[in-house]
Amino acid sequence: MDTNKNIEANSSSFDDIEEKIHANQVLYDQLHQSLVDESIAQVDEDERSGRHSASEISDTETIFSRLSNYYQANELFRYAIWGFGAVFLATTILTIIEYPLFSGSVKDDVGDGFMFGGSEPNWLDTFFHTFWWAVVTFTTVGYGDVSPETHLGKFLTIIIMILNLGIVTMLTGAVSSVLVAARLKGDDKLDETKFHGHLIIAGWNPAVQSALRLVEANEDSTSVVILINETEEEIIKRAISGFDRLDITHLSENFTQEGVLKKAYIEECGTFMIVPDESGLLPNEKPDEDKTVLTALTAKSILEDIQVVAYILDEEYISHLHRANVNEIVFPDEHIPHMLAKHVTDPGVPQLFDELITQEKQDKGIQVVPIPKGLVGLTHNKVSAYYKFKHKWLLVGYAIKKAGFSLEDQMGESGSPIIRDMIKEQLDGAGIKLSSDEHVIVEINPDDEYVIDGKHKALVLR
Amino acid sequence: MSVSASQIQKINYFSKVPEKLCSEIAEAVIEEKCSPGTVLLKEGEAGDTMLLIFQGQVEVSKNMMVKASSGFTMSTKSIIRLETTDPAPSNDPITQPTVSVVKAPAFGIGEFSLVLDDAKRTSHVTAMTDVKYGILSLEHFSRIVDKNPSIGGTVYFEVAKSAVNNLATATQDISNLTQAFFFALTK
Repeated sequence: MDTNKNIEANSSSFDDIEEKIHANQVLYDQLHQSLVDESIAQVDEDERSGRHSASEISDTETIFSRLSNYYQANELFRYAIWGFGAVFLATTILTIIEYPLFSGSVKDDVGDGFMFGGSEPNWLDTFFHTFWWAVVTFTTVGYGDVSPETHLGKFLTIIIMILNLGIVTMLTGAVSSVLVAARLKGDDKLDETKFHGHLIIAGWNPAVQSALRLVEANEDSTSVVILINETEEEIIKRAISGFDRLDITHLSENFTQEGVLKKAYIEECGTFMIVPDESGLLPNEKPDEDKTVLTALTAKSILEDIQVVAYILDEEYISHLHRANVNEIVFPDEHIPHMLAKHVTDPGVPQLFDELITQEKQDKGIQVVPIPKGLVGLTHNKVSAYYKFKHKWLLVGYAIKKAGFSLEDQMGESGSPIIRDMIKEQLDGAGIKLSSDEHVIVEINPDDEYVIDGKHKALVLR
Repeated sequence: MSVSASQIQKINYFSKVPEKLCSEIAEAVIEEKCSPGTVLLKEGEAGDTMLLIFQGQVEVSKNMMVKASSGFTMSTKSIIRLETTDPAPSNDPITQPTVSVVKAPAFGIGEFSLVLDDAKRTSHVTAMTDVKYGILSLEHFSRIVDKNPSIGGTVYFEVAKSAVNNLATATQDISNLTQAFFFALTK
């Protein structure tokens, strides 16, 4: 009898709860619909204004600026333009000086065929005729169908031919030097415009391909990837052939060199990832992890703000990487004991991780998504409700960009101002930054009243 | 002109001392005057006198090892300036202050000399304006305290308060410096 009552009581309270949840859902839907609309409207507006400004630049202007850029960047193009100009100038001069001679021979050579001036040759015909002669002479082809007859004409031709010798030599030299320089440079200069916020992966091992597959699956992440390693081109090509969304470029060079990193526009990159490099190693050889540390140092010396993620196999290197100010260190061995132990203490947890991490598919699993502007400043329970009811995602926690430890904040107003000032002055003078690098921390399942600011991104389970 | 009891009472260490006894202290104080730039106390020197600044502005500074472009050098760093308000300094300071200026009716400096024989001066004190000040020696002061033990209690309480405050600040300074030290080491 008692138990029956209990069940009854329980069921009635379940009804209550259900009612409440439903009421909440309606409330949240109403509450957040406006926010959702607002944030979407904001995004639309941003896009529109971006497109508008792009169309303002006229087509001719872009062609002209492209040509001038090309002219400045390409030595060969420059020489060709000047060579062509020289021939054109010579032709003009010769046409003027030897007009009677060339205009006379036009009719003999061309006969009754097509002429600009109809039946009688005009100046354009003469010019073209002379131009033909000039090109034939300049290229050292020398048909001989047209040739100067007067002594003056021959004399001028001698001068032109001698000058031509120089010009041809210069042109040949220029062409070959440009080609040689290109070969020396490896002339695979990448197109600057698309590299911004891209992912650079230095080093190659099988984990890279799997990592790329996960990056490919998340449509919000960058699509531009540069791989730097000296693994055989064939292997890389095979490994990266299956990707549709990703635009992958391979630089087959030594990634420890500053010049190579700069070629990959490391200053502009979103993430610089260093992995144990197995390029050219035999199966029983271990990757050289000194290279990882060295590369991290090089990257940080190019620009302190680069987000560097290092994957390391040997624990010994962790402290070195910390010293190199690497933002995130991935050390897989760290997770293994936990996984093993959890099989004993909490069976199911390792399987959950398996499911979440290794089985990640497109639009499934744990992902970081930006929080709509309208939700910034609200509390965790509201944001969580937004994801729950709007997208049916479970909000697990937040990834927060933190400025890192700051000595200035730490000292605050304590102690005497003179000592604080002296510390700042002296550390500044010694080139030591008063704060550590920005890094990402996670806040998992915070209190309901936890307030979200602009630096938060949502970790959701989709 | 001798020092009056009301002048003595303006100094925080003596503020709780009854006027009658203040006049007794006033009698023991020797009044002096100095021009800007005069060094009143020198860091590291032993002293058995306390200075009572009645009028003017003084700068407190310390010798410190600092890193300059040419390596480490010893330089004198200003820490604070003290200025009287009752009366205010009679002329402008010779240099503009680079540190904060603390104002009070009148100041007592070198107060540790009232506690310790031959207390070492902890910092330099330099006159920035014309300064009117009085000198109170430990010898005179102890004689007064011997006669009127109640003075000792109130004055030494104020001295102890200032010493405790200094100690708290110094502890914070050490903690700041230690942090900065580790910060510099780990980079």
